[in-house]
Amino acid sequence: MRMGLDLTPGDDTPLVARGEALFTRGDIRARADDLSAAITERGVSRVLVRSDDSALIFEAIDACDRAGADLFIAHTTIAQDRIEAICAEHGIGLVLNGELDWRSTTQTPADGRIYMMTSGTTGMPKVAGHSLESLLAKAKAGVKRRPDQGGRWVLTYQPTGFAGIQVSLTAALWGGLLITPAERTIGGFYHVSRHWNGTHISGTPTFWRSFLMVADPTQLSLAQITLGGEAADQPTLDRIRKAFPDTRVTHTYASTEAGVVYAVHDGLEGFPAAWLESAPSGVALRIKDGFLQIKTPNMMSGYLSAASQPLQDDGWLATADLVELAGDRVKVLGRDDNTINVGGSKVYPLPVEALILKQDGVIEARVYGQPNPVTGALVAADVVLEAGADEKTARKAILTACREALPAYSVPRSLNFVDKIAVSAANKKG
Amino acid sequence: MTEDQIYAAIVEIISQTLDDKGLDVPEITPATEVLGDELGIDSLDLATLVSELEKKIGFDPFAKGFIEFKTVGELTKLYVR
Repeated sequence: MRMGLDLTPGDDTPLVARGEALFTRGDIRARADDLSAAITERGVSRVLVRSDDSALIFEAIDACDRAGADLFIAHTTIAQDRIEAICAEHGIGLVLNGELDWRSTTQTPADGRIYMMTSGTTGMPKVAGHSLESLLAKAKAGVKRRPDQGGRWVLTYQPTGFAGIQVSLTAALWGGLLITPAERTIGGFYHVSRHWNGTHISGTPTFWRSFLMVADPTQLSLAQITLGGEAADQPTLDRIRKAFPDTRVTHTYASTEAGVVYAVHDGLEGFPAAWLESAPSGVALRIKDGFLQIKTPNMMSGYLSAASQPLQDDGWLATADLVELAGDRVKVLGRDDNTINVGGSKVYPLPVEALILKQDGVIEARVYGQPNPVTGALVAADVVLEAGADEKTARKAILTACREALPAYSVPRSLNFVDKIAVSAANKKG
Repeated sequence: MTEDQIYAAIVEIISQTLDDKGLDVPEITPATEVLGDELGIDSLDLATLVSELEKKIGFDPFAKGFIEFKTVGELTKLYVR
């Protein structure tokens, strides 16, 4: 039988909580019925949804699935002129953003796929296609343990991103509740987590570091903590373990192009080196020229635009993530485009950030390159300290630790203490 | 900033750099060679010094390419406008 969202008319099981409002599976099914009928009546083959409202995204997924239309899921952060360009290029006949915005367009044959986009912060977003079935299969494979049934998932990722859709589908598949805040702030996430008694929270390491500052662990009853979207570093994993000693902690590696590649449950950063020989779930991993390359059973089903992770001739997908084999572990060093070149020496920000995060009083750190006339670039770090922590002591501790552990060119030369570090809509450090 | 203020800023940053490295801070005069044996300053430290000075003084005399200099006094002059 073909897999769909499986929303039953009249079902009063809650599916989405937004702030303090609830939407049942039946509510969303009824709205999807109307939408599906309208899409079919107008003969529209391609629909774009641009909203952070998860109830609307579910409605669009279900309606397009049953109408056989393609669905493009766009971030609310993509500029309007780019949305227009995407609509024109791909023959989109309906834009959903709280209202129905019908467009006259040349019809493009649909194959019932779901197209997701990269953030597009530096140019046109890249579009990758998936079948709903493969997305659901991945969501199904990701949940094997019984407590997950009927779980209550807090959605911290951008609702329109790959990770956000993955969490949403997981909640829908397992009869669970998807908890979304009225305001996508750390305080907002904490409020709805308590209000709806969230059991599963998945977020970026950046999200977790902020969340730990705000949340009182005794007020939450979490069964599962997941880190994704960025490489998880050891200090953050340790901090989470300390705050939530009885909760299972998992970190995952996934991307829009490849889907979920692996999940690690042992609380250690990176993944076991043994996985280079044989990885779980039919995934294959290898290191080529320092980069992680992957092969997964649920690989993207084709690009509509230039690939950010080019598919190699031999069927492997090249990632931009630099990794390092350290004993029996493979550690992720960070993305190539974040590499800092200091007088010809390469510096990966992630290990430097991890080292800074390990120091007393430090709650967040961002390491980046600063242009310099002498060496081309210098390593700079923005650091957030706990309230009351002494900057002078912290400065000394950070520099001493960095000097002991890192080559001279990797040591931050400019250390700025700041109140907060800007994060993107996807809760990643910019 | 006056030449004296710039000079004072350079001496302060060099002293801080040496202190950060756990080195003794010797007496610094306008004739002290920045990369000489007297100070334990390497090219990375120099890069740091230049970036700190840009922050403090608000411009970078090396913006169009590196300019040779030897002493603390010569470096000071590059920042005088």
